[in-house]
This record gives sequence, structure tokens and C-alpha cells, in this order.
Amino acid sequence: MMLKSKMPVRLNAAEETLIAQLRDAGDGAQAERLNVTGLPTRRVESYHYTDLKMLLKAVPPLVEAANSASAPALRVAGAYQLLIANGVPHPGTTAPAGVIVGTSDGAALSAHDDVLVRLNSALAKKSLSLTLEGSVDPIIQIDRRTEGAAAHSASSARIFVADNGSATILETYSGSSEAHVTNNASYIAVGRNATVTHITVDLSGDGVTHFATNEYVLAEGAKLRTLAIHAGSALARTQIFARFAGEGAHGDFGGLNLVGDGQHLDFTLDVNHGVPNTTSQEMFKQVGRGRSKGVFQGKIVVARDAQKTDAKMMMQGLMLSDQAEILSKPELEIYADDVVCGHGSTCGELDADSMFYLMSRGISKPEAETMLVRGFLEEVLDPIEDDELNEALTAVIDDWLVGAKQR
Amino acid sequence: MYFYAAPKSTPAPTSLDEVDPELLAMYDKLGIPLKEREILAGVERPNVAVDAVMDSVSVVTTFREELAKVGIIFCSISEAIREHAELVQKYLGSVVPVTDNYYATLNSAVFTDGSFVYIPKGVRCPMELSTYFRINEKKTGQFERTLIIAEDDSYVSYLEGCTAPMRDESQLHAAVVELVALENAEIKYSTVQNWYPGDKDGKGGIYNFVTKRGDCRGDNSKISWTQVETGSAITWKYPSCILRGDNSRGEFYSIAISNGYQQVDSGTKMIHLGKNTSSRIIAKGIAAGFSDNTYRGQVSAHAKAKGARNFTQCDSLLIGDKCGAHTVPYIESRNATAVFEHEATTSKISDDQMFYCQQRGLDGEAAVALIVNGFVRDVLQHLPMEFMVESQKLIAISLEGSVG
Repeated sequence: MMLKSKMPVRLNAAEETLIAQLRDAGDGAQAERLNVTGLPTRRVESYHYTDLKMLLKAVPPLVEAANSASAPALRVAGAYQLLIANGVPHPGTTAPAGVIVGTSDGAALSAHDDVLVRLNSALAKKSLSLTLEGSVDPIIQIDRRTEGAAAHSASSARIFVADNGSATILETYSGSSEAHVTNNASYIAVGRNATVTHITVDLSGDGVTHFATNEYVLAEGAKLRTLAIHAGSALARTQIFARFAGEGAHGDFGGLNLVGDGQHLDFTLDVNHGVPNTTSQEMFKQVGRGRSKGVFQGKIVVARDAQKTDAKMMMQGLMLSDQAEILSKPELEIYADDVVCGHGSTCGELDADSMFYLMSRGISKPEAETMLVRGFLEEVLDPIEDDELNEALTAVIDDWLVGAKQR
Repeated sequence: MYFYAAPKSTPAPTSLDEVDPELLAMYDKLGIPLKEREILAGVERPNVAVDAVMDSVSVVTTFREELAKVGIIFCSISEAIREHAELVQKYLGSVVPVTDNYYATLNSAVFTDGSFVYIPKGVRCPMELSTYFRINEKKTGQFERTLIIAEDDSYVSYLEGCTAPMRDESQLHAAVVELVALENAEIKYSTVQNWYPGDKDGKGGIYNFVTKRGDCRGDNSKISWTQVETGSAITWKYPSCILRGDNSRGEFYSIAISNGYQQVDSGTKMIHLGKNTSSRIIAKGIAAGFSDNTYRGQVSAHAKAKGARNFTQCDSLLIGDKCGAHTVPYIESRNATAVFEHEATTSKISDDQMFYCQQRGLDGEAAVALIVNGFVRDVLQHLPMEFMVESQKLIAISLEGSVG
């Protein structure tokens, strides 16, 4: 049936810049593809609430190597720090026991039918490459920053956690306060019976467009905990692609969307239970202030043979202003029958009874509000066992609450 | 393909014996009471007002005089266009605009008939109004149009049933239903859809692409959709409520059963525009055989929809390991005081439940029918009595051959 005729896409300035940059990077095929399709609009299902064609007004020139880098945006005592500055990985010199650091040519992500993945794969020249063996004690911090004048940068990291290993990886994104467009990628393979915690925190400046794609592959018996925090940028989108490749694996996926005035922050999650006997839990929280947009799209896919899958997804949204929007699309796509899957999604404002309870005890209105919001948000941090890390992340929330990041 | 085919004009049958046996077999399968069957076949005067639409042409509308006494207009839309032009002009296309979507446009261009209901101010419709849709001709599409207007302080309950005989070719059903509820009015719209779903290899069957939308235009108005979807090869159907009036309320209760190679993609849209509007969605999907069953729904609160409230529950049941159940809700809150809750679960009939039933002497199929009927009970109880009994039977028939 003929529904639509193929109309040529009218390209905007951002798309034209991207096409030119892809050509310069020697990827004519991707340039041609973008030339035909353009950036995704809301008609592309996975970009339903984040219309890139509309939101991405301009793309700055491709990044040049950084001359100097300032201190990391988030400090965690005792962490082993690695730097990716302006897309270039700087492997440290003295790696702790069990950590092998290097770089590899090309990008890290597997092929996905997604424009951000394709752009990263075409533009990231080198990946930071990490192999973690045994029980790695210090927190591995990958500090990604974009320094200097406004630039479009692509960075990539590839992390292998060996069988039976354990590690905690923290990634932070920051840089100079220019209107950068950053496209970050992490590929993490969790080995058999390995335990991994992976945390990403976006602390980019007000004008930044931040994209991140975190890809996870879980082998047999692997245990993965992830937490993504959006606490910066004007426009941010973190894509989480998780694939269960071995039986008995478990994943906990968490996210915190701290959306202030003028921001549009998006979490898009695709958890693929491809094999039997795997479990996952997703817990995302959003809080919106001012005129803002918080987006959560979460999809759980259970393949035909993936019997005994147990997956539970939850999204909770809290709106603190009349102009805040919270948009949520939790999806289930299930092809196996012997499964227990569910999702929940709620949103609303602060509970009037709780406010009354606190205020009747002499706590001022703003203070009571802050207390309740903090309680709502910090629940997501509870499973983070490392005290130093937990404290650093709590500070991120508190900063946002007291207004250091408030806009 | 013909856009529509008028039924051949044969003299009205005087008894059931003169009616097409295929037609009767279909009613029989549906469990329609004998009396109602006679009515449908045009034999005798009914006690439920019925408008039968076959191949897009309204063939019989009954009980009109009794309804006219209280000022209710219930007739085919072609008649309404002739006799009540001012009402049709005012409301037709005001809920589903001509350009709404591909199939609505197609319907608007080619629709030939359908049902028209007008409930005047302050009138509570004394009986259930009902329409039967049927596609008889080969290679035709059915494009009927339904328009229901409930004036201030009125109430109407409307039932709709759909059937079609078996055909090898696929046929298209692209209907448009528009409901308008003014101040304090309530419309209850129930559907039992049992179009031919295609044979066991997925050959033939109806493509059921229907646009149904209700507009709660007045304050304190209410529109309630209840549907039992068992037929059709492919269903795309999203009965929606636009909650425009303050304190208006929308409800959606759905049972969607898919077996064989059926594909059901159904759900609702609750668009909260007015203050203190509330909506409730209960959707139960049951997938068996090689079918795919999707709930796709949208709940949105406009910036001005202060105090909007929604509760959504979607449960899916999988029978067999070759089918799929999917849930795709869109939850869009643009007002801080809006409170939305959504939950969805997917599971299968547990072995314990089956064992319990079978141990008490039920065979596999009866046990599944019993458990499924329990699973959908929340929705069934919102159906009018006549439909409830039919629906329970229909559920059992639809799941025939799914166990084993």
C-alpha cells in the first residue's frame, strides 16, 4: 500500500555540517546516508521525544587536540584516573594491579541502527582500551573533557572485564563552557561471573550538547550495575544498549535525570534478554524544574527462546514547576511465554501531606521541598556501596538541589 | 477492490427459515439470542433498538418510533444527512477531522452509511442502542461512519458488534466513530468485534483499521469505551477520549485476544485538556498461537490540565511460546499537578492454575477458558449484560486450539 512518497529531505545547517565532517573524516558512505535520511525527527520511534533535527541547531567544527586540561569535574579519593581530552585518550602511566591500559584504533561500539552510534563510529579515531583482571580495587575514573573553543568531539572507550573479575568504573563528562557537541561511547564486556559497576555523570556546561552511548554485553553469570546521572548540558541523551549473552546474568540499570530550566535531558534504554534465565531491574528517576523536558524511553526485549526472564522496570518522575514536562515511554516487547516482566511509570508533584507534615514541624517551605526531593533522588544511590563514591555522587545531587547547577 | 457493495434487494424474510444459513451460523457461533437473531435478520420487532449495517449500507433500523417519543434520533447516517442536516453538519468530522489519518481520510471520502444517534438534552436513553456490522460481499471494504451526540445531562449506552463470513481474500474495514458528549452527558460505547481472523495458516481475514474517538466537550461529561477484540487478521484500533471539559472523565476497558496468525495492535489515547479530568485504562491482552498482541496507548496532560489524573493497568497473558505480547505506552505529563500511574505485567498461565483446574475434571481447553475469563473479569463486568454472556463464549471460541 502506498502510504508516503519518498520526499528528499531538506537539510538544515547542523546536518550539512555533519555531512561535511563525515566526508572530511573519510566516511563517504555515512555522509551519503545522512544526506538521504537527515537527522531523526519525532517520526523515528527511538527519537520520539527528542527530535534531533529540531533540537540540534548547529554543530561546531571538529575538535582539535587539547593543549591543557584542568582538574576533573568530580573527585573521588583514591580513584585511578584516565583522561580522554578532546576525543584523544591519554592512557596513564602507572596502572594499578590487574589493569591494562592502552589505546586502539577506531571506535568501540558494535553496529547499531542509530545515528549517534554511526557518527561516533565514523568520527572517533582512537579508543581508550582497558582490560581489567581479577578484583580491581581502586575506582577507575575515565575523565572525558572537551576543552577550548566550541567543538564537535567524539570519544570512545572499550573495556573488557575478565571472567570472575570485579571493578567499579566511573565516567565523568565536563570541559570548557562553550557550546560543544560531544558524542561519547563506552563498550563494556562483562566476563563470566564478573561483577561490574559502571557510573556515568554528565557535568558539562550550560551550552553543551552531550550524547553518550553505553553498550553492555553480559556473559554467563555476570552481574552489572549501572547508574547514569544527567546533571549538566543544555541537551543530553544517554543511550543504554544492554545485551544478555549468557545465562544467569543479572543487570541493574539506574538513572537520574536532574532537569533544570531550559534543559532537555533524555535517557533511552534498550535491554535485550537474548538468552534464557536472565534477570534485570531498571530504576529511573526524573525531576524537573523551570521550563524543562525530561525524557525516559525504556524498552525491554525478551527473545523467543529467552524463557525464565525476569525483568522489572520503573520510572518515577517529579515535577517541581508548572512548565516542567516529563515524558515517558516504558516498553515491553516479549516473545517468550514463561517470563515475568513488568513496568511501572508514575509522575506527579510533591506530596502535599508530606509537605504539611514537615512544615507543621517548623521547617520552611523551601527546606521541606529540598528534603523531600533529596529523599526521592538519593534512593537511587543506595546500592552504591563505595562510601567515597556514594559521597561524591550525593554531592552532585546536593549541588543541583541548592542551585549550584540551578538555572 | 470495490469501495462498497449494496446488499441485493431481496424481499424481507418472514421467518428465520428464509434467512441465509451462513448468516445464522455466525449468529449461532456468537451466541446471539434467537429473538435478537430474528431482529437482525429483519424478521420481527425487537426489544433492543438495532441498526444493522451490512456492506456499508444500513439495512435495518428498529424501534425508532418508541425512541422518537422521547426525542432520540436513531437512524442510518444517510437518513440523518437528509433529515437532520443541521446536526450532521455541526458535528460530523468535528472529532475526527478528514485529514486525521490515512484511513480516516479514506473513510471520509467513500463512506456510504453508518449509524447516527442524537440524544436530546436531559434524556436518559431508555434502552441499549445497538449496531451490527457485517461484510457479506467478496472483495469489498466496509467504510461505515458512526456519529453519536449526547446533549447536556443525557445518557446513552451503545453496543456495536461486527462479523464477517470466511473469505480467502483479505478485506478492509476502515470505520470512523465519533462521539460528542456535552455538559454532564455520558456515553458508554461497547464493541464486540469478531471479524473473520483468517484461516489457520493466516490466509484471508479482515484488516480492521478503525478510528474511534470521543470528545468530552462539556464539563462533567464522561465517555467510556469497552471493547472485546477477538477477530480480524490485523487490528489497528485506538478508541480515544479528548477530555476537554473540566472534570470530564474517560474510561477504556479492553480485552484483546489473538490466536493463529492474528496481529492486534490496540489501545487508547487519553488527552487531558481540562481541569480535574480523570481517566482510567484497563487493558487485558491474551496472545496464543503465532499471534502478536500489542497494547499501544497514550496518556497526556496539557499544561492547563490542572489536577489531571490517570490510572493505567495493562496485563498480558501468553499462551504458548510462539506468540508475542508487547506494551508501548506513551506517558506525557506537561502539568506538575497531574498524577499519572501506569503499570504493566506480562506472564503466562501458571502450571499450578492449570493443574488445579484439570485435577477437578476440566479438560485443557476448558481450564484455559476458565482462567482467561477470570483474567479478563475486570473488563467483562463493564460490558452490558447481553454482551457479557456472548463475550465469555467468544473468548472460549477464540482460544480453541491454543492448548495442546
